Amino acid sequence: MKEWLGLLARLVTGGVWIVAGAVKLPDPHASVQAVRAYEILPASAAETVGYLLPVVEIVIGLALVLGVLTRGAAVASALLFVAFIVGIASVWARGLEIDCGCFGGGGYDPGATSNYPWEIARDVGLLALSGYLVWLRTSRLALDNLLFRRTSSMM
Amino acid sequence: MTGKAQKRTERAAEHLKRQQAQERRRNTLVVVGVVVAMALVIGAGFLVNSLRDSSQDISAAPAGSTDHGVAIGDPDAPRQVVIYEDFLCPYCGQLEQASSDALTRLADEGKVYVDYRPFNLLGTDYSVDAVNAFAVVLEAAGPEVAKSFHDELYADQPAESGPYPDADWFVDKAVEAGASEAEVRSGIEDGAQETWVEEATAAAAAAGVNSTPTVLLDGQFFQDGRTMQEIADNLEAALE
Repeated sequence: MKEWLGLLARLVTGGVWIVAGAVKLPDPHASVQAVRAYEILPASAAETVGYLLPVVEIVIGLALVLGVLTRGAAVASALLFVAFIVGIASVWARGLEIDCGCFGGGGYDPGATSNYPWEIARDVGLLALSGYLVWLRTSRLALDNLLFRRTSSMM
Repeated sequence: MTGKAQKRTERAAEHLKRQQAQERRRNTLVVVGVVVAMALVIGAGFLVNSLRDSSQDISAAPAGSTDHGVAIGDPDAPRQVVIYEDFLCPYCGQLEQASSDALTRLADEGKVYVDYRPFNLLGTDYSVDAVNAFAVVLEAAGPEVAKSFHDELYADQPAESGPYPDADWFVDKAVEAGASEAEVRSGIEDGAQETWVEEATAAAAAAGVNSTPTVLLDGQFFQDGRTMQEIADNLEAALE
């Protein structure tokens, strides 16, 4: 049962990553601007993150959906969610009003403050699912089960 | 246990150990292989993304050389700054607030020649009306009044989501800046310079400007800083 729940967690979290990465992919400049809008990273670092993030999101998403190196991908996924939660909380605390750029877009957005709680809640939920996958280790219909054969202790 | 049976058990244990070691090696190789493949995909994606982003390849005409802006300072100053902006864009407002006084002072001191190029990026009525009014004031009252008018507009910038002010508001600002009402009212009310707005916008697009504010220092895209305040401070420091 748990292993099926693991599959569900993988599909949900991985699916969100793939969508989030794919919608950012067409416009690298917008992605950089979205990172800059947080006013946390200096220009050159924001640029690097802006270019990397969409690809990293898609790779993590695919790894989770396919179940390749699931635990590692889940750790990376959890770390990214922590980073996003910190980022949004920091923006909120500083009174900036920006589109979080989570699914494309980004930049100044009047009235964005009312979105922050929901965005943080969503990321906390996905963080929990990622954490569950780290804890669970194995799940159903994962490529990991084919890639890694386990020798039982007694042949 | 007989000696023979013990030997067999030992052999079996050894066999199992070897097999497990082999499995471990194989699994490690698979992990390394997958991680390397992921890293390659990410690296390639990063490269492709940075190559596809042409936002920094801007080839703008030198300061003071176009009809679609207002330049302050000495044309022979050692440094040049060009600022593309939309009157409604909030970040442009922040940059103006943070940089206007310093750039004016540095221009007065002969250290920099600054060219402000407003155009319609956001496509709102206000963006068009403000640039139109700017062009009307520029034609009727000259660059100095147009620069003051430009500053007045940023000092009292409306919210991006509206509501937007009407023609009377622009006329009041123009008069405050030093234009005479008779010269500017009809042009502001009738959108007399909307062709100018379109030309300025086309010129900005042709230069490769696709976001605002776009600051160029000696022709190079300048975005050194996390906030508009930091960018303004760093620009000021670079020009001192």
